[in-house]
Amino acid sequence: MSKYTSKYLEDKLKEKLDATYVQVTDESDGCGGKFSAIIVSKAFEGKALLQKHRLVNTTLAEELKEIHAFSQKSYTPAEWEKVQQQ
Amino acid sequence: MPVLTVENSEDYQKYISADKTTVALFAADWAEQCAQVTDVLKELDSILGDKLQFITLNAEKYPEISMKHQIEAVPTVIFFNKGSAVDRVDGVDVAAITSKSKKLAESASSAAATGQTLNDRLTALINKAPLMIFMKGDRNAPRCGFSKQLIAIINETNLPYETFDILSDEEVRQGLKTFSDWPTYPQVYVKGELIGGLDIIKELLANNELEASLKG
Repeated sequence: MSKYTSKYLEDKLKEKLDATYVQVTDESDGCGGKFSAIIVSKAFEGKALLQKHRLVNTTLAEELKEIHAFSQKSYTPAEWEKVQQQ
Repeated sequence: MPVLTVENSEDYQKYISADKTTVALFAADWAEQCAQVTDVLKELDSILGDKLQFITLNAEKYPEISMKHQIEAVPTVIFFNKGSAVDRVDGVDVAAITSKSKKLAESASSAAATGQTLNDRLTALINKAPLMIFMKGDRNAPRCGFSKQLIAIINETNLPYETFDILSDEEVRQGLKTFSDWPTYPQVYVKGELIGGLDIIKELLANNELEASLKG
């Protein structure tokens, strides 16, 4: 159980990471314990995979204490364009 | 040092997060047995006070704390190590309270004697094998979906690896999160360097970079 919703997480990621695209999916049937996220932000540019994920983890540090399972795909705008073309 | 009485929830947080292992008695004024346990704690404090600290709090005054630790009756004793509950005794079981206190005091002094801090221990663990996985359960019986998926992917590479079951050691479980600044498990280390969690391993796999990354 957690008090967080997809909408809340999307808004927070958009604001804090200046993300151009965020899609958070609640995979817990609404109990708020399991989410997956796609995040596209310029903030990831020049960062290694680990650093990107760490940035997201840090942004959601408080929330992740309660969210049991969180998976993320974090892209720079250029990487995201490639992903969409596939 | 006397048995400390918790006056507010900030006190409580401060006590249980201290370096010293804390023995906390959840009590109520109206329950006679609690006074009996308080006496036991005083006695233990006089012999183990240099290694453990003893606190008592009114369970009904702090319903949230009591709820969190599922205090169903007083007295209940909970043992805390750096903020995490590591053991408990429900009811007036003087023998159990005494033996568990002594055991924790012993492990505190042996850690001090060998000079091995948690950080030393974590450094040794992440370097235990060139490819080290910290997970819930072990490779034959992963105890969470993410750990299970991770093991399946790593097995495909045929690389040798070792695992550590974080469910078996609360100190490592909490400590490694801070140590590596990574909030979740599983965690994969190559030559002592954090590679990442399942998401990253999947992404490396998709980019055909997994084997190279795992070889370091």
